[in-house]
Amino acid sequence: MSKAYKRKAGDFEIRILPDGRVVMLAPDEAMMEVARAIEGQENHSEQTDEGNHDKSASADGTGG
Amino acid sequence: MQAEAHRQARQRAARMRELMRACRLCPRECGVDRVAGERGFCGLDARARCFREVLHFGEERELVPSHQVYFAGCNLWCECCTVAEWNESPCDMEPIAPEKLIELIRRRRAEGARTLNLLGGEPAVSVAGILEVLAALDCEVSVVWNSNMYYSRAVDEVLRGLVDVFLADVKCCARKCCEMLVGVGDYVETVRRNIALAAEHADVIVRVIVMPGHVDCCAGPTMRWVAEKMKGVKVSLRGDYVPPAESVYAPRSYLEHGEMEAVRRTAAEYGLNVVT
Repeated sequence: MSKAYKRKAGDFEIRILPDGRVVMLAPDEAMMEVARAIEGQENHSEQTDEGNHDKSASADGTGG
Repeated sequence: MQAEAHRQARQRAARMRELMRACRLCPRECGVDRVAGERGFCGLDARARCFREVLHFGEERELVPSHQVYFAGCNLWCECCTVAEWNESPCDMEPIAPEKLIELIRRRRAEGARTLNLLGGEPAVSVAGILEVLAALDCEVSVVWNSNMYYSRAVDEVLRGLVDVFLADVKCCARKCCEMLVGVGDYVETVRRNIALAAEHADVIVRVIVMPGHVDCCAGPTMRWVAEKMKGVKVSLRGDYVPPAESVYAPRSYLEHGEMEAVRRTAAEYGLNVVT
C-alpha cells in the first residue's frame, strides 16, 4: 500500500466520509466559504428533494 | 486586557526574551539561546511567526465571532494535529511584522470580531512576540489564550491582566496516554497547575478534547478533576476529533456517537458547567 499523502504548509484537506459528512481540517477563510456553499446546496436540496439526501456538511476548526 | 498590564506588556516581552536566552518557556527547558538564533524542540528562534488569521464562528458561543491568529511552532508533538505542517519548520516562514498584525486585528474588529484568539501550534512558545503585539494595540480587545497549557510558571505570570479567557485544550490524562498522544509524561501535572493558576486571574474554559477510545482513561478523569478541584469552571466538550492519515499512537477512527453520549452523561452527573 502506498504511504498516505503528507500535508504541506499551504495545502488544504477536505474529507468526505462514508456517511456523507464533509470534514475540513483547520479551515481558512476560503475553505469556510466552500463549507457555507455546501451547506447552502444542502439546504436547497432539502427544499427541492425532501427525503433522500446526505447529511449537511460540517467543518472542523480546532487548531493545534 | 487591563490597562496596567497593557502598559507593562513591553517590559514583560523583554523579560520573556531574556528567558529565551537559555529557553525555559516550557517544561522541556531546552536551554537553547533562541535570541541568538538557536532552536530547541519547538523549532523557533526568538521571533513569532503567524501563519494564518481568520474570523471563525466555530468556537464556543461566548467567543464568536473570534479572530483566530495562528502562530507556528509547538512544544508538543501530537500525531493528530490538524496544523502539524506549519509546526515542523516554523522558521521557514517569514515573520509577520507586529504593525501588520495590528492592522489585521483592527480590520477583524471592524468586521465584528468579539475576541482575539491566540493559538498555534502553542502560543506560549511565541509569547515574547505576542506580548509585543499586545503592547502595541491601541484598542480594547478581549484576548483569548487558546493553548495546550504546557508552559512554565513564568508564562502565566506575564499573561496576568492581559488575557481575558484561557481556552485550555486537554486531550489526555493517563500518563501512558499522554506519552503516546502528546509526547510528554508530565503533561497532566503541568496542565492542571497552569489551569489552576489561570483561574486565579481570568475566565477559563477547559476544553475536553474527547479522543476515540480514551473516554474512561482520559476524558472521564479530566472531568472528575474539574468537578473536584475546579468547581464552577466552564467546560466545553469537543467531539470533533479528526484522525490523521497515518498514525502510530493517535486513534485512527472518528469518535463514535456512543462515546460522546457517555461523556455528556458523565459531565451531567458531575454537575459540570458545560458551555457550547
